[in-house]
Amino acid sequence: MHEYAITESILEIVQSEAGEAGAKRVDEVKVVIGELSSFAGSSIEFYFEELSLGTIAEGARLVFEKREAKATCCACGSGFRPRNAFYSCPTCGSRLFELKQGQELYVDSIEVE
Amino acid sequence: MKIEVKKNILARNDTAAAENRERLSQEGVCMINLMASPGAGKTSVIMKAIESLSDRYAMAVIEGDIASEIDSLAIEAVNIPALQINTGGSCHLTASMISSALDHLDLDSLDLVIVENVGNLVCPAEFDLGETGRVMIASITEGHDKPHKYPAIFKKVDAILVNKIDLLPYCDFDMSNFHDVVEGLNPDGAIIELSCKDGYGTDEWCNWMEAAISECKTRLSS
Repeated sequence: MHEYAITESILEIVQSEAGEAGAKRVDEVKVVIGELSSFAGSSIEFYFEELSLGTIAEGARLVFEKREAKATCCACGSGFRPRNAFYSCPTCGSRLFELKQGQELYVDSIEVE
Repeated sequence: MKIEVKKNILARNDTAAAENRERLSQEGVCMINLMASPGAGKTSVIMKAIESLSDRYAMAVIEGDIASEIDSLAIEAVNIPALQINTGGSCHLTASMISSALDHLDLDSLDLVIVENVGNLVCPAEFDLGETGRVMIASITEGHDKPHKYPAIFKKVDAILVNKIDLLPYCDFDMSNFHDVVEGLNPDGAIIELSCKDGYGTDEWCNWMEAAISECKTRLSS
């Protein structure tokens, strides 16, 4: 349900960028979501359709790009892709790691007319 | 025409949170973001802190609920200033809601602000409020599997209070499994077992809180 607030922020960013560019219509909004962030694209889509009614972004396509998680083990230094919060290093088994990628949440680009 | 945007969607909240944190640090005020499921005992845990600390520290409470003033009236009844935020459907507090609440508090005369977040284990974990410390409650009746189901919040807090410990003999709560999983997710988090009903462990909770208040004051003087 926290996607409601997230969708409001997305719409705000889109409106401001499209407004600055003097666009008439927004055709597409590309959002990058890290695979370990806890935001569901389908919920964002649901709220976006509702919240964008009557705005410059009404009817725009939402495109989500999933960003794969990447971590470096603090113990042995090897790189791996953590699949969930209970990961441990597949090489040495340590649970201490530095997450390099996978928690992103940003508007990457918009397509306007 | 394609426009490159590259803008963080949580940026607005993060900026407001950073401003709140700066305001608090300028006055040496400790602000605890208390998160838990509905019914885990957030208000009871706050009441225990008030009983134990309010004679030595100036406190205020910010109550976040979807609706009603039940919690803030309970806090005011023990003479502690309480501000009620009704989110009107939203499942978490945001940094800008806290910013407006802080405007109504006399920060230079306060030592501690406790924020009772909306009852929820998912959304509050994603929204930084500008707090100086994060605490969550996991109660015995919720079961020991909650860290498996809601790992994000267990990872992000500084302390985990295990409330309703008096009900342990009546529930199938595997305490050693709970400790193993939580310690794996969050090796630095303090785990405090307590019962607001019979008072067991509440001293440890209040000592933890007192250390958090002192740390904020020390940071101010240095």
